[in-house]
Amino acid sequence: MNHDSTARAQHLIKMANDIGAFFEAMPDQHQAARDVAAHIRKFWEPRMQRSFLEYLQSHGDTALKPVVREAARTLNA
Amino acid sequence: MDTHPHYDDVDFGTPERVSDTAVTLQIDGFAVTVPQGTSVMRAAVQAGTQIPKLCATDSLEPFGSCRLCLVEIEGRRGFPASCTTPAEAGMVVRTQSPRLAQLRRGVMELYISDHPLDCLTCPTNGDCELQDMAGAVGLREVRYGYEGLNHLKDQADLSNPYFAYDPSKCIVCNRCVRACEETQGTFALTISGRGFASRVSPGESEPFMGSECVSCGACVNACPTATLMEKSVIDAGLPDHSVITTCAYCGVGCGFKAEMKGNEVVRMTPWKDGKANEGHACVKGRFAWGYTTHKDRILKPMIRSKITDPWQEVSWETAIAHAASEFRRLQEKYGTDAVGGITSSRCTNEETYLVQKLVRAAFHNNNVDTCARVCHSPTGYGLGQTYGTSAGTQTFKSVEHSDVILVIGANPTDAHPVFGSRMKKRLREGARLIVVDPRKIELVQSAHVQADFHLQLRPGTNVAMISALAHVVVTEGLVNERFVEERCDAESFRVWRDFVARPDNSPEAMEPVTGVPAALVRQAARLYATGGNAAIYYGLGVTEHAQGSTMVIGIANLAMATGNIGREGVGVNPLRGQNNVQGSCDMGSFPHEYPGYRHVSDDATRLLFEKDWGLSLRKEPGLRIPNMFEAALDGSFMGLYCQGEDIVQSDPNTQHVTAALEAMECIVVQDLFLNETAKYAHVFLPGSSFLEKDGTFTNAERRISRVRKVMAPKPGLADWEVTVALSNALGYPMHYEDPSEIMDEIARLTPTFSGVSYTRLDQLGSVQWPCNAQNPEGTPLMHIDRFVRGKGRFMPTQYVPTDEKITPRFPLLLTTGRILSQYNVGAQTRRTENVRFHEEDRLDLHPHDAEDRGIQDGDWVGITSRAGETVLRARVSDRMQPGVVYTTFHFPESGANVITTDNSDWATNCPEYKVTAVQVVKVMHTSEWQDAYQRFNANQLRLLQEKV
Amino acid sequence: MNAMTTRETQAVDAALTRFRGEEGALLPVLHAVQDTLGYIPKQATPALAHAFNLSRAEIHGVITYYHHFRQTAPAQHRLALCQAEACQARGSRALTATAEAATGCRLGEHSDDNRWSLEPVYCLGLCASGPALELDGKLHARLTPERLEALIRHKELS
Repeated sequence: MNHDSTARAQHLIKMANDIGAFFEAMPDQHQAARDVAAHIRKFWEPRMQRSFLEYLQSHGDTALKPVVREAARTLNA
Repeated sequence: MDTHPHYDDVDFGTPERVSDTAVTLQIDGFAVTVPQGTSVMRAAVQAGTQIPKLCATDSLEPFGSCRLCLVEIEGRRGFPASCTTPAEAGMVVRTQSPRLAQLRRGVMELYISDHPLDCLTCPTNGDCELQDMAGAVGLREVRYGYEGLNHLKDQADLSNPYFAYDPSKCIVCNRCVRACEETQGTFALTISGRGFASRVSPGESEPFMGSECVSCGACVNACPTATLMEKSVIDAGLPDHSVITTCAYCGVGCGFKAEMKGNEVVRMTPWKDGKANEGHACVKGRFAWGYTTHKDRILKPMIRSKITDPWQEVSWETAIAHAASEFRRLQEKYGTDAVGGITSSRCTNEETYLVQKLVRAAFHNNNVDTCARVCHSPTGYGLGQTYGTSAGTQTFKSVEHSDVILVIGANPTDAHPVFGSRMKKRLREGARLIVVDPRKIELVQSAHVQADFHLQLRPGTNVAMISALAHVVVTEGLVNERFVEERCDAESFRVWRDFVARPDNSPEAMEPVTGVPAALVRQAARLYATGGNAAIYYGLGVTEHAQGSTMVIGIANLAMATGNIGREGVGVNPLRGQNNVQGSCDMGSFPHEYPGYRHVSDDATRLLFEKDWGLSLRKEPGLRIPNMFEAALDGSFMGLYCQGEDIVQSDPNTQHVTAALEAMECIVVQDLFLNETAKYAHVFLPGSSFLEKDGTFTNAERRISRVRKVMAPKPGLADWEVTVALSNALGYPMHYEDPSEIMDEIARLTPTFSGVSYTRLDQLGSVQWPCNAQNPEGTPLMHIDRFVRGKGRFMPTQYVPTDEKITPRFPLLLTTGRILSQYNVGAQTRRTENVRFHEEDRLDLHPHDAEDRGIQDGDWVGITSRAGETVLRARVSDRMQPGVVYTTFHFPESGANVITTDNSDWATNCPEYKVTAVQVVKVMHTSEWQDAYQRFNANQLRLLQEKV
Repeated sequence: MNAMTTRETQAVDAALTRFRGEEGALLPVLHAVQDTLGYIPKQATPALAHAFNLSRAEIHGVITYYHHFRQTAPAQHRLALCQAEACQARGSRALTATAEAATGCRLGEHSDDNRWSLEPVYCLGLCASGPALELDGKLHARLTPERLEALIRHKELS
């Protein structure tokens, strides 16, 4: 990954966290994680999902909100 | 053109009345039954008798001043005016008698004694009510002569670019003054002086252009003589035929009569029976159509291999073949997903449908998006999640039943002027008004309008505000428990109620965030919840935020909790920016949805389309517009078919967009003009204006209206034919003889449209979807007995501050918007006389912020954000709050979007146009970007001129 | 547009304050301003429009409808001559000619130095004792050209 594409992958991390920020207001955090994952599956083009997961693989998932982290694991599966 | 349905416009003289009681009376021996409150004049028209009149017309309340419509009523003394006399049961009315004839002739004599006798050279000769009445009353002589005092030497006011005011022809019937008041609601006209000195006076007896006039044309429409007259008719003469069509500007979708002489438009007049506008119009639709024949239009296809090359004019066949071979080459080289398309909300449903079909079937991917991405995509998401369908709930007419109107992030008097006028009319009748907006918009205070509450929040804090309003509703016992229990999902309500009831969502807790006093918020919430029928109208001030979708959900929650859904006068109403935003979304030009909002991964839906289109389709979502730019910069998205949309000027962070376009290898632009995007294009396909096409537009109230061709497409091919040709060249043949067949296909494949056809539209005039077997006449109000999704769903709306934070370096917040006379990127309105109303974008700022920076009105100021810098002239305005600045974005050289950032809505990627942290300083010269733009632009115009 | 003078602004503000919140206050405010200044400044129209939530056109319509309201400073001496039938029958035309000659301005106008204005009025309610006129707010009846000349001379000297 060159510098620009890393920046773009980081943009995806931010987008994912923004999605998480909405759903984490739900009382059931597992349901919230499922909603985050469903949202990403429904609206993100496969290339975006792929870069997101690749970035997590190489950089770890510490930049993610907990609810997004849980969601990302199900995307992985 | 003989296939067009005939709609006649009878003038009933006075407005329709609605009543449960009917009265029957006799007029000239014929019995007629009308609703109580109907005037004798209107009843007479219904009985087939036109009573002579001059000051009456059915768009205005009766006035009783011209004394021509006198009648005799048995048992009554004298000669009452039929326009101001209500019909009563058993009344016996005579409209003609020797005495009445004598009286009417006497009145006409007086009128004519002070009117020029130049009928033969008058522009309204043959279309003049005064002339008609002289004939109708049998005027044969004027005993008073023409020598005495008169107004014949009064000078005409030609200041307005579109109409002339010639007081020498005025009969002071007051129709123009009343139209300005009752229809438009601007009150720009009055009668100055009294008696013989009475004159129609714009403002303070000043030229129209200097007055408060907004050039809507209502006065011109109302004038029975040639006093107020379109200059286009003065120049060209009266039209010989007309065609009913739909305006191509904002999402109100006004019905218009294109009045023609041969195949040239002489004037556009608002269609009386158009349900979106009921005979009213604004300066754009009524007058700003000159762009359709502007010399800048490009009428021949062009290609070039690099954007630094001159354009080469080619035949349609060559252009289409070249574009197709480029797309195929890119797909072979970079993969199937390396190309995509963008549809436009300016184009018809049929055109938009075809482009998404081309992308899915011929490109074989789902990379199709529409410009609604950057305006109302959060509406689609938010209302879809909560109510189950992605559209406004009401008709425009519903506002006539509203008791409380809550306007959030919308400026209807500028951006949706005809609906703005309808709303103002209701406000004058006493409806209460709450405005949530960072700016003091016209609705906050203007002639005869005064908001009860202006919640002047800081940009970016909508969600904090809506949660605070909901907090009051929930904690003060204002929830409509019965509605919630019967109509909404109980568990979701409980979760939401607990959420908004939290102390951190109270108006007091949110006051430091929004900047709005908690007490005001509490009072406004109580008014909304308890004031009767409460309706919410919102615009891009809601959607174009990092939390745009959250805010739409918050609005939906509030309306459900208070039971303001499912009947007249209430509802949640997105005011759509462009003529066909609703339609372009309905038509499935989204990367994740087929027409009718069905996800591409839904097997049953996909199978339906696969069977109909005869090939397999992809089930993964495609790229949204901002994702396309990212992928282009990543090298995996290299070709774009862009129809009728100017992404370079309209999308945020211009420099990011142009970098992405420069990274692509083939950009095909289909447009009327060499717009900003076309300057980065390799293939230019000339488009047609709305006057040259057949199709349909769907407005903000889900109303599908016909767009009818009044002249042949100037480039030779209609837009839909170009898409068909491109698809054929790509190897996916499409077979349509006529746009009506495209609509038939849409109806066949989309349950909410199954009852729609051109025949049906011709019968009904227009129809609101869903239109199907259950609702053959369409659906004016949605969610009446149940929500489309079944039970209404509440969702918590946690406020998350935007990343656009003010800092010492960027201490102000910039927000953007539209002005009445210009439209979006201005490609159309900048090529009309509308530039005389607004010739440049300016930066509005509060007097305190101006003073702090030594800025005076008219100074050049540099505006810098984290994304870029531009320079505009300043306007010091107390419509602003301290700390907030504002600009419009109608001129490319303004570079408003050079400053806006990449931030976007979490759910839909709709850009956060409405909040950008900036600094503003006084400068002496244009910005670096503007200098570079000037050079680039000059070069591109040269390449166009040097075309071979 | 030129701004109002301080005196004008004060008069308009005072009138608006005095009638604030009262229904139908436009006419009382216009009277109050004219009583203070002798006229209603043209530049006051936007402020009045804003205060009453009306348009400029509407304010203009009201001011121009009533002959009583004026938008420029009045002449020093205002002579209103009745032109109605009864006074005409008793010699108001000759009286008007005298007034025009003595003041140097025509009926309906004011003198170049704005010392005099001659206004036509139609009935002062003194038909039985015409011809009648009103000079600086005071009624005079049974006038002759000589008496009118004397009145005007008296004012000129004062």
